[in-house]
Amino acid sequence: MPLYEHIYLARQDVSPQQVEEMTNAMTETLTQGGGKVTKNEYWGLKSLSFRIKKNRKAHYSLLNIDAPAPAVAEMERQMRINEDILRFMTVRVDELEEGPSAMMQKRDRDDERSDRPGGRPDRGGFDRGPRPPRRF
Amino acid sequence: MAIKDLTTSTSRRPFQRRRKTCPFTGPNAPKIDYKDVRLLQRYVSERGKIVPSRISAVSALKQRVLAQAIKRARFIGLMPYAVS
Repeated sequence: MPLYEHIYLARQDVSPQQVEEMTNAMTETLTQGGGKVTKNEYWGLKSLSFRIKKNRKAHYSLLNIDAPAPAVAEMERQMRINEDILRFMTVRVDELEEGPSAMMQKRDRDDERSDRPGGRPDRGGFDRGPRPPRRF
Repeated sequence: MAIKDLTTSTSRRPFQRRRKTCPFTGPNAPKIDYKDVRLLQRYVSERGKIVPSRISAVSALKQRVLAQAIKRARFIGLMPYAVS
């Protein structure tokens, strides 16, 4: 079965519990279609870079899906009907990520970065030496 | 990879520019992921435009992957299309 990553944005005035319910409902439709959800991440209420359907914030959720295409199509159809869902995106991937995604590990990586000597490898760490004499 | 000093100080050129290498090529290169906004942020300008690869030194192949990732991040509202 093909593998998908699915992200959806729920309206900001929906409670996290309701988002969870929506996720469960989606998982239900997928399992009925013969698929399964291997990972379910809730990123929380995040502010958007621009307004989407008059919302400045949205609840982000990520699902890793292993399901046949018709099941995914059915889930997408139901998402389009649901007015609490602002936007969604399903991306087909070659392999699903294990463990928390980049969004969840952000905090840890901040610490890691400050430990690293010389900052970015291709910028700060490189010593260009004295500036050569100017021509003009 | 011989990267440093393509033009040596003995030549007449007053400036030596180190040839930059693709930040996504090599053993511990980061993986381009549309969810990793912090990584993608480095490859867009202040206005939110994608930086051309001749400036960021990203290889042509990785630039295509990167552009796709930035566009996905924009679609789900993680990155701006334009900053006014």
